[in-house]
Amino acid sequence: MPEVLLQTEALTRRFGALSAVDGVSLAFEEGQVHALIGPNGAGKSTFLNLLSGELRATAGLIRFRGADVTRTAPDRLSRMGLGRTYQTANLFPELSCADCVWLAAQSRLPSSMSFFRSAERYAQVGVRAARALEWCGLAARGDAIAGRLSYGEQRQLEIAMMLATEPSLLLLDEPLAGLGHDEALRIVELLRKVARGRTVVLVEHDMDAVFSISDAVTVLVDGRVLATGSPSEIRASAAVREAYLGEEIP
Amino acid sequence: MKRRLILLAAAAALGAVAFSGDRFWLQFLGKAMIGSILAMSLDLLVGFTGLVSLAHSAFFGLAAYLLAGLSNRFDLVNPIVTLPLCVAFAAGCALIIGWLSLRATGVYFIMVTLAFTQMLFYLFNDSPALGGSDGLFVKARPIEGRAAAYVAIWTAVVLVYLLLSRMLRAPYGRVLEGILGNEQRTRSLGYPTRRYKLVAFVIAGALAGLAGYLDATLHGFVNPAQLGWRQSGLILVTVLLGGKGTLYGPALGALLLAFIEHYGERVTAHWNALIAALVIAVVLFLPRGLAGLVPGTRRA
Repeated sequence: MPEVLLQTEALTRRFGALSAVDGVSLAFEEGQVHALIGPNGAGKSTFLNLLSGELRATAGLIRFRGADVTRTAPDRLSRMGLGRTYQTANLFPELSCADCVWLAAQSRLPSSMSFFRSAERYAQVGVRAARALEWCGLAARGDAIAGRLSYGEQRQLEIAMMLATEPSLLLLDEPLAGLGHDEALRIVELLRKVARGRTVVLVEHDMDAVFSISDAVTVLVDGRVLATGSPSEIRASAAVREAYLGEEIP
Repeated sequence: MKRRLILLAAAAALGAVAFSGDRFWLQFLGKAMIGSILAMSLDLLVGFTGLVSLAHSAFFGLAAYLLAGLSNRFDLVNPIVTLPLCVAFAAGCALIIGWLSLRATGVYFIMVTLAFTQMLFYLFNDSPALGGSDGLFVKARPIEGRAAAYVAIWTAVVLVYLLLSRMLRAPYGRVLEGILGNEQRTRSLGYPTRRYKLVAFVIAGALAGLAGYLDATLHGFVNPAQLGWRQSGLILVTVLLGGKGTLYGPALGALLLAFIEHYGERVTAHWNALIAALVIAVVLFLPRGLAGLVPGTRRA
C-alpha cells in the first residue's frame, strides 16, 4: 500500500457566491504523477493555490505527511518540501538564470540571515544550483537574463528553480500552456524525467501529455471531483466524455 | 575597476581634508558625508529591497534627540556609551515602526511610514519639554573639536559602505534581490519575506540613527525639522539622483547635492529650482541616476 503524501478533505474555496473549489477530497500517493484535468474554470489552479498556501481555504483540510497544513504560509510549505511552478512564467526577470536557481538553492540553507560571508562561498548551494540548471538543459544559459529567455526556456528555468529547492512534492500548473509544438515536446521530455521517482500534482490541458505521463487522473468540473482513476479508466468513462463534450479525448 | 578608483580617490580626498583644519570645509563636508550615510542606508530599502520609506528622517532625528537628552539631562556624553545607546534606540524604533508599516505594501506602506514620521515631528515640535520648534542644544558633545568629529564621520562613511556592500553580497543580500524582483516568488521559494524586509528596515534605521548621532555631534543642536518628512523626501531625491540600487551612486549624490546647494545659493535664492531641474533631467535621461555615468558593474 503506497503512502499518501498529500491529502485534502472536503477542501472548499469560495469567492463570494462562487465556489471555485467545492468539497474536494483527494489523496496523492507517494511516487505517483496525479493529473488534474477539467474544462476552463473548473477550479484546478485555485486548487493548486490552496495546496501551495497562496490562497486560504474557506473550509476543509489539507494534510501533508499527516500534518495539518491548511493554514500554513507558502514559505513554510516550501521548506517542508513542497515545490511548484506557475501557469505564466513567474521568475526574477532581471536576474540571470544562474542567480535565479542560486536563490532557489540557497533557500535550503538553515537560514539566509547571513550578512558577512560572501554568498559565493557557500559551495554546496552552488553545486545544487548548477546541477538543477544542467538537469533542465540550461547549463550553457547560466548568464542569460531570465526575462529575455524564450517561452520554453522560461519553463525550463521554472522547473530548475523548483528542483533546486529539493522538493518531495511537485505542483505543476500547466507547464505546457502557450508553448509551440517543438518546445512542448522538449518540456514533456523534461517532465517525464522530473517525474521519475517523484510525487507530482500536474494540472495540464494537453491530453496527450497528461495520459502519457500520469499514473492517476482526476477530472474536476465546477469545482467538484467528477471522476478519479487510472488514465485508461478515465479515458473509458462516459461521464468524463460528457463533461468534455465538444472537447477532444484521445 | 574604474569605479573602485573613483571611490578610493574620493575617500582619500575627503580624508585629506581633515588635515587642512579649515573650519568651513570640515563643517561643510562633514555634513555632506552624513548625507551620504543617510542616502546609502535608505538605498538599502529603496534600491535593493523595493521599499520606499518616508520614515528615514525619523530615525535620524530620534537618535539625535536622544543624544541631546543624554548630554543635557544626565551629562552622559562618552561616545562608548552614547553611540551604541543612540543607534540601538533608532534600531528599536525602526523595529516597532517597521513591524507595523510592513503589514502594508506598495503605496500604503509609504503612507504609513509618512504618518509615523509626521506623528513624531509634531510630538517634538509641540512639546516644550522636548525643545519645541526651536529644538535643543547639545551642551556637551561626545566628540569635541571639529576635526575629530570630521574624522569620526569619515570613518563612519567608509565603514557603512563596506558593511552594506558586504551584506549585499552575502546570502541575505541575495534574498533582498529576490524580494526586489518578485516578492511573491521569493516567498514561495521558502523565504519568509516580511521578516527579511523588517531586518533591512531595522538596519537602515540604525544607520540613519548613526547619521543623526554624528550630525548632533558635529552641529551641537537638533531641531524637529530634521525629523520631518521633507527631510525624508530630500534623502529619497538624493538616492534617485545618485542612482538607486548602487551604493556609491547615492553616496556621491549626497556630496554633489551639498555642492549644488552651497554654490547655488550664491547664484540665486531659488537654488531649489536648480535641484528640481536636475532631478527631472536625471529621471528622464538617466534612469540609473548619476551612477549610470560611472562605468563598471551594476551593483554595490
